[in-house]
Amino acid sequence: MISCTEFIPAYNELFVFLENKADKQAVVTFWESLSDKFLYNLREIVKAKGVAGCFEYWSRTLAEEAADCKITLDENADEFTIEMKHCPSKGRLISDRHVKPYHSYCEHCDILYRRVLETLGLEYSIDLSNCGNAQCRLVARNSIRPKV
Amino acid sequence: MGQFKCIEFRASDNEYLHKDFHGVLCYAIKYLDDNFGHEATTEYLKQVGLAIYKDLIQNIKIQGLAAIEKHIIDVFAIEGGEFETIHVPGKLTVIVKACPAIAHLKQRGLFYTERFCEATKVVNHSICQTADYKCSCSYEPGAGCCVQEFWK
Repeated sequence: MISCTEFIPAYNELFVFLENKADKQAVVTFWESLSDKFLYNLREIVKAKGVAGCFEYWSRTLAEEAADCKITLDENADEFTIEMKHCPSKGRLISDRHVKPYHSYCEHCDILYRRVLETLGLEYSIDLSNCGNAQCRLVARNSIRPKV
Repeated sequence: MGQFKCIEFRASDNEYLHKDFHGVLCYAIKYLDDNFGHEATTEYLKQVGLAIYKDLIQNIKIQGLAAIEKHIIDVFAIEGGEFETIHVPGKLTVIVKACPAIAHLKQRGLFYTERFCEATKVVNHSICQTADYKCSCSYEPGAGCCVQEFWK
C-alpha cells in the first residue's frame, strides 16, 4: 500500500508521467476528468449549501492535510476564502530532496475546484503568484445573491 | 445578519492523514488503464516506486528484509488496519487482514477500481528489484486482504 502520507509525491509523478507520455494537455485533461468524476462530495455539499458548503468541505480536508492556513466564511458577502500560508502538498514537494515538483503542480487545484464551483454558479478566483513558496489564495463567491 | 466564521489551521495542530488520497490513486489507476492501457499504469507505478522510495531502497540494501518490515509496520501504525508479519531468516511474509485504504474507500463511498492493489504489487516489485530482492503479492480485488512475500 502506498500510504496516503506518501501520496503527494506519487501524484506529482503522475503529472510528470502524463506529460512525458503525451504532453501538458494530457495532464490538464486528467485534472478535468478527476474534477468531473471524483469531486462529487464537494459538488454535492456546495450544491446543497452554497459557499457554506465550501467552508464545511475544506474545514475537514485542510485539517486532515495538516495545512497552515486560514479559511473564512462571510455569509453577508456570500464569500468563502482560503488563505494558504503553507500548502502541505506543495510544501512537501519543495522539501523532498528526491522529488522535483511538476512545473505546473499548483494548477491542478485551479482546474479541479474551478470546474466544480463555476458549474454551480459561483465566482471563483485563485491567486497562484506565490505558489512557489507553497502559498496561494482562493476565493469563491456567490455573485447571484444580493450582497448585504 | 449572516454569520462570519473563521478557522486558522496550524500544521502542528493536526495529524497529516488524508485518506481520501487513496481514492485519487484509485481514480488515477482507472484513468491510466482506460486511456493509456494497463502497461502504462504499470510503467507509472514502477516510476513511483523508484522516485519516491529511494530512502527505503537504500535501507533495504543495508538492512535487508528488516527495513521492509519496519516500513510496513510504520505505514500501518499511521493508517490503522490489521496485519501480521512473519519474519524468518531469508523471508518476510506480510499478511494484511484488513487493508485500511480499502476500508476507507468503502466506508466513505469513494471511487474504487478492482486494480487498486496493483499499486502495492508493482511498487513493491519496483522497490525490491532495485534493492536486489524479490517479492510477490497475492490479493483478491476488493477483499481488503493480501499476502505479500519478500525474499532475497
